[in-house]
Amino acid sequence: MNYRNICAVPGMVLVITGISMLFPALWSLYYGDYDWPAFLWTGGVTVILGLTLYKVCGITGAFQAKEAFAAVVLSWVAAAGFGALPFLLSGTLPTFGSALFEAMSGFTTTGASVFSDVEILPHGVLFWRSFTHWLGGMGIIVLFVAVLSSLGVNALSMFKAESPGPVIEKITPRISATAKILWYIYIGMTIVLVVILYALGMPLFDSLCHAFGTVATGGFSIKNLSIGYYANPLIHWVIIAFMFLAGINFVLYYLALKGKDLRVFWKDGEFRLYARITLVFIAVIAVTLLWTTNYSSEAALRHAAFQVVSIMTTTGYATADFDLWTTTAKAMLVILMFVGGCAGSTSGSIKVGRMLILLKQGYLELQRVLHPRSVTQIRINGKAVRPELVMNVQQFFFIYVFIAAVSVTVMSALGLDPVSAFTAVAATLGNVGPGLAEVGPMRNYALVPEAGKYYLSFLMLAGRLELYTLLVLFLPSFWRK
Amino acid sequence: MNYRNIIAIMGVMLIIVGISMIFPAVWSLYYGEDDWSAFLLSSAITVSAGLLAHKATGLRGEVQHKEAIAVLTLSWIAASAFGSLPYLLTGTFVSFADAVFETISGFTTTGASVIPDVEIISHGVLFWRSLTLWLGGMGIIVLFVAVLSSLGVNTLQMFRAESPGAGAEKIKPRAGTTAKILWFTYVGLTVVEILILWALGMPLFDAFCHAFGVIGTGGFSTKNSGIAYFDNPLLHWAMILFMFLSGANFALHYQAFRGKDLRVFWKNGEFRLYAHLMLLFTVILTGVVLASSDYSFEAALRQAAFHVTAIMTTTGYAISDYDLWPYFGRSLLVLLMFIGSCSGSTGGSIKVGRLLILLKQFRLELQRAIHPRAIVNAKINGRSISSEMMINVQQFFFIYLSITAVSTVIISSWGIDLVSAFTAAAAIMSNVGTGLGLVGPMHTYDFLPAAGKYYLSFLMIVGRLELYAVLVLFLPSFWKK
Repeated sequence: MNYRNICAVPGMVLVITGISMLFPALWSLYYGDYDWPAFLWTGGVTVILGLTLYKVCGITGAFQAKEAFAAVVLSWVAAAGFGALPFLLSGTLPTFGSALFEAMSGFTTTGASVFSDVEILPHGVLFWRSFTHWLGGMGIIVLFVAVLSSLGVNALSMFKAESPGPVIEKITPRISATAKILWYIYIGMTIVLVVILYALGMPLFDSLCHAFGTVATGGFSIKNLSIGYYANPLIHWVIIAFMFLAGINFVLYYLALKGKDLRVFWKDGEFRLYARITLVFIAVIAVTLLWTTNYSSEAALRHAAFQVVSIMTTTGYATADFDLWTTTAKAMLVILMFVGGCAGSTSGSIKVGRMLILLKQGYLELQRVLHPRSVTQIRINGKAVRPELVMNVQQFFFIYVFIAAVSVTVMSALGLDPVSAFTAVAATLGNVGPGLAEVGPMRNYALVPEAGKYYLSFLMLAGRLELYTLLVLFLPSFWRK
Repeated sequence: MNYRNIIAIMGVMLIIVGISMIFPAVWSLYYGEDDWSAFLLSSAITVSAGLLAHKATGLRGEVQHKEAIAVLTLSWIAASAFGSLPYLLTGTFVSFADAVFETISGFTTTGASVIPDVEIISHGVLFWRSLTLWLGGMGIIVLFVAVLSSLGVNTLQMFRAESPGAGAEKIKPRAGTTAKILWFTYVGLTVVEILILWALGMPLFDAFCHAFGVIGTGGFSTKNSGIAYFDNPLLHWAMILFMFLSGANFALHYQAFRGKDLRVFWKNGEFRLYAHLMLLFTVILTGVVLASSDYSFEAALRQAAFHVTAIMTTTGYAISDYDLWPYFGRSLLVLLMFIGSCSGSTGGSIKVGRLLILLKQFRLELQRAIHPRAIVNAKINGRSISSEMMINVQQFFFIYLSITAVSTVIISSWGIDLVSAFTAAAAIMSNVGTGLGLVGPMHTYDFLPAAGKYYLSFLMIVGRLELYAVLVLFLPSFWKK
């Protein structure tokens, strides 16, 4: 184990985190708020500490798989740990547990908040919350790989450890070039959304914050009513569209841009399933809304579409308090928390790509009951899927559900009622944000005890790094020579 | 597909079901109730229908793989349709849906009831209810195989389809002999339990009914308050012991009995995990009960042990209303519903054997993340598990949870809350019978609309026959030549 490499990477990530704190400080100064010193102080300390770590350790040689795992996990913990400091220093959050929860929720693009009233917060803090989403969305390490391309770091292992989805492929031979392309698409999408929201009448500051939250599939809002605050239906529809776009595999955008051919989307099995699930859930929930509320058909469709897309892409914005909807609608939204967006997107949870493999294998297993001796493999996009990958995906599903189940008992031991405990776990592990009941869309996680906030922060990180990256650190053999 | 074979086998099944309807008639006469004629009439109808089906078609050649699978589901449906005759003819139920629900709940050893007050029900009907549990317990098919093996049908296939549990070990090469041995073990355990319960002061009739309920891991009681009615700690402990034994693999009982060596249990990996889990959950729950009530230590231990065994073995008896326990205790019980008992037992749910395989593979996958090129197979009882088996077990887990999730949505559409809907789906799929909230241990499923009762009946069969055997019937290719 090369411990120098393991220190150097978090060092560099801390530099990036520290520099990013300059932006909230600027907004704070612009609005004449009181919180800019908190950002400048933390930013300064974080940058200096990061540079020292980076210089003292220095990257030597290529990364082993083990080192990549450790470096990535440490980087995220460091980013969230230092990212939590501005909340403490500005006096907006009283305890480190709460501040860590908020920062981890930001970086992992969860969007679960402990603030019961965000509208009284200074602009610097608001911007920082949304900005952590944006940094975490595409991945700090991916950013780091893109920036450090000239340093000749063998970064593929780290890249994979941070975004280990089942179908991540190198779109260019050089991993740093791939990272750059992904970030360009990400930045491009953000700019387009900011411009559209601004054009639709949202103030520039709000547009920026919500664009960050949407494209990163985060979910922090600067209004207590979330997107429901903006009465303009067009704003809702635009955000629905961009949440949906952010839930698509970013590699497809690259292929579509390169080939100037939109058909690549429909040729992708995962995208087809993603679109179909979205449509079916919207249709069913819209019908339940029409039956049980007095919404107009446009409003019913819009609210159904917004909530379905928001939960499925694990964004977590809301235009309505879906905790008041029928049990059926709520149960369907909870199921979506376990589906998530496409692999290679900024969303979290189990991901549609894995669901596709699981569903196909399910069909195959049934056929195998009929013809026990037939040897067949499932195919995705025309390519046969190896049994090892199938097992890996199935095992991911098991571990995901297993961790969720154990976590529900942990949360209920901390005093949460069953529905709150279950959805709090589903919403943090899946990086969604809001759950139901106590942690519903119009409530927050302030009620969760301090220990529970640490535990949920751990779940958010586990979910963001897709379990294995974090869990291997708990193997005793991981630390042996 | 040879439909004649299918109908012929179903005919034999019906004859067995019909003959067993004579027993409740005997009890009815003994207690001087006037519904004995209803049982004899049902018996006559069922036996003649069975004879007619068997004679009219007749077995031809060997039973093919597909036919064996089709027979399983179809014979459960046929047995349940005719098994509901006594309820209808005695006037216990007016609606067919109620009668079918109660019968299927019996034959699948679920123990979920739609009778709001069982203490006003006649002894004949009570006995029939418990007898269906007992008959269903080891699987009518196993009995059926034992009887039919003398007819020279290739029954090995049938036995495979009946007990697809991961660790089903063949004691003897011929399925007919195996089935007979299992059946004798089953009868032996039942007789011993009846005698013990009777000796502990339970009336003979109640001892019969509750022994059937325990050994069949069913859960129908003759009292409204369940086992709580019998206020004798020794009796509770005796039932805990027998529930525990019924949840173990019956093949192990036989081996221990034949070899006069109890170590066979401990040499079995599945049994070890089963015992460990039971112990662990009992210890934690004893703490929970002690902390939240003023029970003595013995009473708290008994409460915890009783409900842990009752739910884990999917029996579903209760000695108190655990729906009043703290959230933590309740969530632990719900977790147990998804574990279930050992393969080769009368219990349902996912089964400890599958869980063992999943947990072993979990560790292996983590190790594979660090050493991607290492090829190792998980081992159970010293034998390595093939990838096909692994994929099958992991896929089972996915399908099981998917059906539970979809069922929660469907059940919630009948207007009940999330906790009740979810635990109803879990309790019915796993053949436990009792959940939380509206379907808690002191409630019944009486409130559901007819459609709900039919759906849950279907779900019980799906769970009892371990998914695949029922689901393949929905493949179009199943019915093609």
